[in-house]
Amino acid sequence: MTTTFKKKLTHFLSIAFFLMDKSRSYRRFRLMFSGVMFVIIFAPLVIVTGLSSFEYRELLLKEERSQLYWNAEGAQKTIEAFMAKLTSVVRFVSKDRGCDDLLDQYVVSKLLVNLKEEYPGFVDLGVIDHNGIQQVYAGPFRLEGYDYSDQDWFSKVLAREIYISEVYMGFREIPHFVIAVSFKIPDKEEYWILRASIDYEKLQKYISTINTKASQDIFLVNHDGVLQTRSNMFGEVLEKYNMPSKPEKGKITINVSKLDSVSYLKAYAYIKNTPWIMAIVKEQYIYGDEWSSFQFRRRLIFIGCSLLALVVIYQLVNFVTDRLRESNEKRDLLMVEAEHSNKLASVGRLAAGVAHEINNPLAIIDQKAGLMTDLFGLTEDFKHKEKLVKSIDGIHNAVERCKVITHRLLGFARRMDVVYERIDINALLQEVLGFLEQEALFNHIYFELVFDENLPMIFSDRGQLQQVFLNIINNGIDAIGNDGEIVLTTSSKDNATIDVSICDNGPGMNSEIIKRIFDPFFSTKEAGKGTGLGLSITYGLVKKLGGHISVDSEVGQGTTFTVSLPVNFTQD
Amino acid sequence: MENIKLLIVDDEEEFAATLAERLELRGFSSKSASCGNNALEVLASNFSPDVVLLDLKMPDISGFEVLIEIKEKYPSIEVIMLTGHGAATGGKDSKERGAFDYIMKPVDINELAGKIKAAYLKNA
Repeated sequence: MTTTFKKKLTHFLSIAFFLMDKSRSYRRFRLMFSGVMFVIIFAPLVIVTGLSSFEYRELLLKEERSQLYWNAEGAQKTIEAFMAKLTSVVRFVSKDRGCDDLLDQYVVSKLLVNLKEEYPGFVDLGVIDHNGIQQVYAGPFRLEGYDYSDQDWFSKVLAREIYISEVYMGFREIPHFVIAVSFKIPDKEEYWILRASIDYEKLQKYISTINTKASQDIFLVNHDGVLQTRSNMFGEVLEKYNMPSKPEKGKITINVSKLDSVSYLKAYAYIKNTPWIMAIVKEQYIYGDEWSSFQFRRRLIFIGCSLLALVVIYQLVNFVTDRLRESNEKRDLLMVEAEHSNKLASVGRLAAGVAHEINNPLAIIDQKAGLMTDLFGLTEDFKHKEKLVKSIDGIHNAVERCKVITHRLLGFARRMDVVYERIDINALLQEVLGFLEQEALFNHIYFELVFDENLPMIFSDRGQLQQVFLNIINNGIDAIGNDGEIVLTTSSKDNATIDVSICDNGPGMNSEIIKRIFDPFFSTKEAGKGTGLGLSITYGLVKKLGGHISVDSEVGQGTTFTVSLPVNFTQD
Repeated sequence: MENIKLLIVDDEEEFAATLAERLELRGFSSKSASCGNNALEVLASNFSPDVVLLDLKMPDISGFEVLIEIKEKYPSIEVIMLTGHGAATGGKDSKERGAFDYIMKPVDINELAGKIKAAYLKNA
């Protein structure tokens, strides 16, 4: 990981935490985190998929071109070999037979018959003298004496010894081509010509056998673009074929062209000693079914991976955000709890000190007043005795009230220390109500107590239980506001658990609020009035004491909290 | 009931004196000590009380220390802690150290008398 990236990450996280601390913007964090995860996962995915597709395509194109190149080279060699064979047959005939034999009509006719048996494509044979006059002819037409001297090929064959013509109709009305060889007349300085016409079908059949599965079409075309054999794609023999450009001599030229929105690779090569160019046509794999099915599979995999990644991102972001939120809330709660208990501890210590300091003089007042009562009891009646006794009773009552207050303060201080002891929950609830009576009375809220007289004593911590019930009842009072009733019920289902339910007839809550009611910092009280921690702390305390708390509420009907506590709580 | 002898240990002398007077009116005989050491001195002299009423917070040594020493040296003497201090564990700690009871100030005199009698009867 580079330093810059680390810095950026730290910056990002600090922003994230700042956001969360300050505005609790988990939504924003979730979005940012999702975005980052999205980029982290999708950028490489897209790049890798794109690159691999591009590379694969390039590789295929290259592979396909070289494949076609080898095919074309093979086909070129085969055709050249075939033509060489045909040519050598004609040449062999001209050399093997003497000049005299070739001037004999019978011999030439016999030769044609033999040739036809061996090579069925031969149509006719003719012997032409040095002046271009056909001296002997064997074949289906009457061509003896025909003058070829003005024809282009006549001079060519005299010059080159061998001549292979293009495919043409001629007056035979069937497409054919001609192989002509010149031979020297012994004793004369004259060159005569043996000329054989060959049906183009012979060539066509041969070409057709070359056509392999590797290509869609193979055909011959002359230098002017006239088809010399049938093309599967571009028409019949002697039709015009639109050749983009002439191929380079001695090389195989490959180019790409489109037909009906399908892209084809075409390879061209000259056939040696002939006026022909061989063409092989092959549909580009890239545009074929296999390639599109490859693309389809690739897309399917990409979409599959993307969906999986989205699910993973969603789950991961949720998980991290939730954990972050939980740990933040836990941390905040712990801090607030610590602060709260620190405050309580200070107040507790103060209260205990005050109570102790007051208890001593109070005890003196009590004893002095008691002594007075004692002494009056031993004294005969005197003036104002009754009034004095009443006054002393007044002192006693005042002391009693002070005693309740100091003992309550001490009780509050005691909550700081966790002490497990046998507790009478009915009595504990009475004590708690003692704290709240004044406020409740002031707001015209009345308590109804439905206590199970046979409730078993439970083993638990008094201070924490007081806090639990104080919080719940306080919430009830706050919820009611003015004029209402809170019913406290204690019961025991079995000998192992006791239930305390606190039911108020306040405004109640909807299910959304009920779901979140024990969440830290969740408050329905107006801003500044509640910390949103009361019930959260209560929940924690009840759990700590081995019990559980549940809430049941309906809007307009009031709310019931039920605290279940184990009779015998053992700490782990 | 025979005369029950008490030792009242409290740094609040006014309280101790008044309490002693009131208890004497109810048939108890008593002596007072103003601090822990004083109490131990009194016990070391020839005075042997049946029950000791012992404050917890005193200027010299704490009530607990006095309690422990009394229980060590004079196991037959019952001790009732009588204090204005309200630590949660006070009652439990006192009883663990051998006190008969733990009572918070201010206390009703008749309730206290009852506890003293109960403590006395424990050994009778």
